[in-house]
Amino acid sequence: MEMAGWAFVAGFPLALDRRYEAETHMWVLVTEPGRARIGMDPVGIETSGTLAQLSFAPVGTELAVGRPFGQLEAAKFVGPLVSPVSGVVLGVNDAVAANAGLAERDPYGAGWLIEAGLDESGGELAGLLADPAEITAWFTTKIARYRLEGVIAQ
Amino acid sequence: MSGAWRLLADDGVGAAEGLALDEALMGRYARGEPDRQPTLRLYSYRDHCALVGRYQDLGAEIDLEACRATGTEVNRRPTGGGAIIMGSGQLGLAYLDRAPTGGRPREIIEEFSAALADGLARLGITAGFHGKNDLEVGGRKIAGLGLYVDQAGAMLFHASVLADLDVGLMVRLLRIPAAKLADRAVAAVAERVTTITAETGNPHDAATIRPAIAEGLATAFGVALEPGSPDGDELARAESLAARRYRSQSWLDGRRAASDASGSALLRTPAGLARIYLTTHGDLIKSAIVAGDFNELPDALVAMESGLSWRRLDHASVAAVVDGSGASAALGVPPEKLIAAVIEAGRQARSTAGAAGPYLASDVS
Repeated sequence: MEMAGWAFVAGFPLALDRRYEAETHMWVLVTEPGRARIGMDPVGIETSGTLAQLSFAPVGTELAVGRPFGQLEAAKFVGPLVSPVSGVVLGVNDAVAANAGLAERDPYGAGWLIEAGLDESGGELAGLLADPAEITAWFTTKIARYRLEGVIAQ
Repeated sequence: MSGAWRLLADDGVGAAEGLALDEALMGRYARGEPDRQPTLRLYSYRDHCALVGRYQDLGAEIDLEACRATGTEVNRRPTGGGAIIMGSGQLGLAYLDRAPTGGRPREIIEEFSAALADGLARLGITAGFHGKNDLEVGGRKIAGLGLYVDQAGAMLFHASVLADLDVGLMVRLLRIPAAKLADRAVAAVAERVTTITAETGNPHDAATIRPAIAEGLATAFGVALEPGSPDGDELARAESLAARRYRSQSWLDGRRAASDASGSALLRTPAGLARIYLTTHGDLIKSAIVAGDFNELPDALVAMESGLSWRRLDHASVAAVVDGSGASAALGVPPEKLIAAVIEAGRQARSTAGAAGPYLASDVS
């Protein structure tokens, strides 16, 4: 099944209109110059466990690559949401904070996590996966690995 | 993974002190700290300690009056999960290291589950991680698991392995809604958990199973274990954490975004009445128990109960578990009737719960 800007890889939807951080499965969608929406792709969510609660740093908090911007509580896991960009928190998704299941149901849309003002001085966006072919290959490889390990369902 | 881990072994620790040392050890693996070998701590609490999960409501999970009456210490773990009883019959496991880059939570949990199963195999027990929640033997829980990565990037994998368990005491101390309401409370819990003592027919406690569990982990991860002890800095930090956090009322009281709630629904079956009990957290099912006059609890029901844990409380999710478990056939009712009863129990639970509001982490740095 193909739609413009989308791929479906081994049962998981993959939005190709945004960038991805390969280790944390965070996506970054630049919505206007200097501003981006951040979320987690469905494979990142699936490999965290069933989400119970998402919480976020307050608006105005400084963001740094590799540092937490919030916390994820899942079935057997409590841990940080790790930022793929530097900048500042401009907004948080109150709907997903009130109902973490929204991130599972609509990970690329209504289940977004925070909005960030980007500090692009370090060229960090360039370090994210952006090319659709590259993104698809990465996603495919990750799913195959997680299935082999029995971490996600066949 | 290769190399050597530091192995710590201690017994009879207090609730605040045990949790504080885990967190103090974790601090050595924070971002910016010098690289060091991982630590594996295999320990037991004093008889008895009741520990709730990080986001649980203390009073809702534990009978505090019963704890006072039995001299049971009460505390709150930094990790998620449910309320547990710990003592000399339960082996606590804490593995501490820097969180691996790129390791997904379920990969890490799966890896440790397999290693724990390796340890249990040395005691002659075949355990598996089938429910993706707990380590089980024949559908009965034998070890609980939890993973915590702190904001500084340090990782704590926690497990409690049931060498033995006083189910009567557990039912008395923990507020297990279904068990409290069911006529056969102790039997209902006993049918859903097992212990190394029960599986092997030989009496065991934390100390007797420690060598096998240690060997299983070492073999599975391909490492040597080097017996050690906490250093002075770790002990000082543990004492500070025990005083500041784990003995403070504010930590015990905790904070929560949504309350756990419980509800039940009746189900008429050809063999008589059954009642489905659910504990929920928001729109998640945390646990399910079916109580009825069963001569023997059908395996399909145990599979359904296990499968419903941490599922969304919606028709599609519940139907997938019910259909996959064979529970409707075991009960002699159509699947839709069983699904409807589960959903109704959840509706009852949610009607008793407070509304969940948006929630900001205060400890995000």
